[in-house]
Amino acid sequence: MTNAAPSHQSAPLFALRGICRTYGEGETAVRALIDVDLDISGGELIVLLGPSGSGKSTLLNILGGLDRPSSGAIHFRGAPLTGQSEHALTHYRRRHVGFIFQFYNLIPSLTARENVDLVGEITDDPLDAAEALELVGLGQRLDHFPSQLSGGEQQRVAVARAIAKRPAVLLCDEPTGALDVKTGVRVLEALQEVNERYGSTTLIVTHNADVARMGARVIRFGDGRVRSVETNTARVPPSALVW
Amino acid sequence: MRALDKKLFRDVWRMRVHALGVALVLGCGLSVMVMAVGMRGSMERTRAAYYAERHMADLAVSAVRAPERIANVLAQAPGVETIETRISGIALLDLSGVSEPPSARLVSLPIEGRPRVNDLTLARGRWPDAARADEILLSQAFADANNLGLSDTLNATIHGRRQTLRIVGIANSPEFVFVAAPGELFRQAKRFGVIWMNREALARAYDLDGAFNDAVFLLGRHANQSETIAAIDRILEPYGGVGAYGRDRMVSDRFLSEELRQLSTMAIFLPALFLITAAFLVNIALGRVIATERSNIGLLKAFGYSNTAVAWHYAKSALIFAAIGAFIGSAAGIALGRSVADLYRDYYHFPALEFSASPATFIGAWAAGLAAALTGCVFSVLKAARLSPAEALTPPRPTTFFSAGPSLSRFEASLDAKSRIILRRIVRFPRRAGTTALGVAFAIALLVVARTMPAEMDYLLDVNFGVANRQDVTLTFTEARDSAVLHQVERLAGVLYAEPFRLDDVILRHNGRSVNEAVFGVPEQARLSQIVGARQRVMAPPASGIALARALAEKLGAELGDEIRLEQTRGRRISTNVRVTAIVEPMIGSSAYMEIAALSRLMREPGRVSGAHLRMDTARYAAFDRQIKQIPGIAGVSFVGQAETAMRSEFEQGVGVMNLIYAAFAAIMAGGVAFSAARITLAEQERDLATLRVLGFTRLEVSYILVGELMALALIAIPAGLALGALLSIWLMQLFQTDMYAFPFVFNPAGYAFAVAFTLGCVAVAALVVRSSIDKLDMIAVLKARD
Repeated sequence: MTNAAPSHQSAPLFALRGICRTYGEGETAVRALIDVDLDISGGELIVLLGPSGSGKSTLLNILGGLDRPSSGAIHFRGAPLTGQSEHALTHYRRRHVGFIFQFYNLIPSLTARENVDLVGEITDDPLDAAEALELVGLGQRLDHFPSQLSGGEQQRVAVARAIAKRPAVLLCDEPTGALDVKTGVRVLEALQEVNERYGSTTLIVTHNADVARMGARVIRFGDGRVRSVETNTARVPPSALVW
Repeated sequence: MRALDKKLFRDVWRMRVHALGVALVLGCGLSVMVMAVGMRGSMERTRAAYYAERHMADLAVSAVRAPERIANVLAQAPGVETIETRISGIALLDLSGVSEPPSARLVSLPIEGRPRVNDLTLARGRWPDAARADEILLSQAFADANNLGLSDTLNATIHGRRQTLRIVGIANSPEFVFVAAPGELFRQAKRFGVIWMNREALARAYDLDGAFNDAVFLLGRHANQSETIAAIDRILEPYGGVGAYGRDRMVSDRFLSEELRQLSTMAIFLPALFLITAAFLVNIALGRVIATERSNIGLLKAFGYSNTAVAWHYAKSALIFAAIGAFIGSAAGIALGRSVADLYRDYYHFPALEFSASPATFIGAWAAGLAAALTGCVFSVLKAARLSPAEALTPPRPTTFFSAGPSLSRFEASLDAKSRIILRRIVRFPRRAGTTALGVAFAIALLVVARTMPAEMDYLLDVNFGVANRQDVTLTFTEARDSAVLHQVERLAGVLYAEPFRLDDVILRHNGRSVNEAVFGVPEQARLSQIVGARQRVMAPPASGIALARALAEKLGAELGDEIRLEQTRGRRISTNVRVTAIVEPMIGSSAYMEIAALSRLMREPGRVSGAHLRMDTARYAAFDRQIKQIPGIAGVSFVGQAETAMRSEFEQGVGVMNLIYAAFAAIMAGGVAFSAARITLAEQERDLATLRVLGFTRLEVSYILVGELMALALIAIPAGLALGALLSIWLMQLFQTDMYAFPFVFNPAGYAFAVAFTLGCVAVAALVVRSSIDKLDMIAVLKARD
């Protein structure tokens, strides 16, 4: 099955062909991803849905250069991502990828502004930290340490940190998993805002089916395979989501 | 085994790296403690047994010439149990292949039987035949140093007469465990030895038939030593008695006591540094364990374990650390003690010196180790005990950070984010940062001490040979000669310049106190042998009156302007008063000094000198040596240059071993502390560091946070370590200084630089070893991990 991107979008940002990922060997081997073909275009907001262990996070890790497929090939902007050295993958993450984690993963000893600046230090043309934090609605909380911020605020700092490098791709692993509805919605709004304003391709992994309603495409996973790919014709803004 | 104990052992196994770090640091401290306390005990027991078995003298006295019948009178003196009269002197030796003649103390053996006081042990050979005047026993250290063995012969100049002596035995005596030439600071086994020989032969040589010039005494158990001394002095007064003295003034025993005192110092000073560090390490390791075990503590309490049971459970892990440390310390202490005993045995030639530490020593060391571990764990354990189950079962509050404070804010602002992380962690965890810095500072201080001590010695030798005694050779006449003799001396082969000196052995008396010392007569414009004070300032002798070394003045209770009494103990035995016109602080020696002409006038021998210091053309030593051996009236020739070489080389060997031991200790201290700190930093920051890797930071950039924190703490520790090292050095040097020499403070930049570089190297190695874990960080796990 080929899950190609809509035909009107030319050269895809990511092209995945025959991606398999197996952990372990022999009888105990676990096949986390099986034969995934996928094209992802620049600027898309994709929601990856599926139950735990369905393979969506594994795919996110492989796209982020944190894990390598056992077989198959991935191309990023036409260049192979598979077979790259550890060093090359680090530089790939550094230049092109923004991560947002379920538990925020802010550096506790740095303020909100400094957490964003941290990424700016390894990027050529970063967004101003204050501007990035303004974008996620935290312009008033620049000099607060993570321990002084609520969970939702911390996740929004994480979003600001991720976008500060103007990444080509934003990978979000259960970004609302630890948040209540209200704060979760604010985070998703921030993600959508970034996606629209900077055109960063955004992949949101979630097991929350409702979140899928904001995605341009929804890819459903089950038992390591892509079960379906749907183009969402009736996208709703995050503020309309309920769970 | 109870479930909780199983958990305990598994916990300790999980903490094995920290446990090992604590145990090694503790082990270092305890090993020194076991070694030093054990060695001190062993030495004391060996000395006591040796003295008892060989009847070491309680008192000794010299006289000019006392008839043998006086021995019976002396034997009746109160408190005297046994007396041995002897003839004693100094001989110049002529060893084949040795161009600069060494010298030896001559001691007569009784005509019949073995010495009743200061008996000898034969290392090899046999006792001399009483009928053979040429058979001698030679001291073992000197024989070994000069490769002399049984049946070898020695040519000796005794009281101006040459004699050939045959070695029939190699011996040791409790009287000469440590041997130094008269007036010398250090032992020179190659240059000065002891010869025991036929009494009649010595009597002939010194014209002492039917007389003696030296006596040694054993006192009864209840003797009053000062009463006995007074009685002996009264009896020998007409015969030139110089004043009897106890073991406290016998050079060999004094030196041994000094060595024992140094062992006591070492037993306290080094272990203290290690035990303090170990306590801090336990504190940090256990603090970390209890932080990660928080929910387990809650569960245990929820199951019904009491606060005491929980506290005891965690305290036991500290006790296990201490037990491992005690085991390492005991084993290493025994090994160290045995090798030190070997060194001492070879150096002092004790007949038997086995290292053995008493059970009390081990119990003391274990108790110290235990106390350090318990002190270290007490705060963490109390925290575990106080934690309520409900609180413990909730996740811990996230660590709150704050800016480094207004004083550091400008500095903080100038840093990049990674350096700011380092700074804020140091400020946030001051106790842990303090421990790391303290351990590193201690390591630096240890090395500074280790490097300063040799530098002090070097400085002392430099002053002794470079300023105070610049002569190549010192000639001593058997009795004071007219200064015209200098012209003769100047004509000897190779002599470039001769400078006279006068030396009178005297008893100085003031305010009812008395001290046996030498008065040196020094020319006003002395060029070779000079009085040297602080900062190498050369002091001229006073034009009139006498200058006293401060230590001597204090012993006498004499002050500037006081009149003191001088009683010559040899020669004419002049008694006279003289005014103290200067109090000087010589670095070496604590004698009295006068202008040479003034001294000879005072001793009613105007123009007479005791000897001459010579500046030589060293290429002509051999010719000089040939001539000097033919000249009667020369009591001693001291080759100062050779003494310097011998001293420096003996000294450097000792320093080499010491430096190695100190470097090993410092490496364990700095490495252990740094390793422990790095592991904890890594454990605490694993998630943050992995996050940074996910965000695209390279391994090198992430490593900087870990290694940088340690190096920053090490840098903070440098000034503290150097200052502590300097203070400890000053304190130790004050403890080690004696009447013979004073140590000024010596700044040794190379030593300080080494201390810093070596310690930073150890910290860097420890940091880099831990850093390799960054390569294995699980970046995927971190995506899901809760803070």
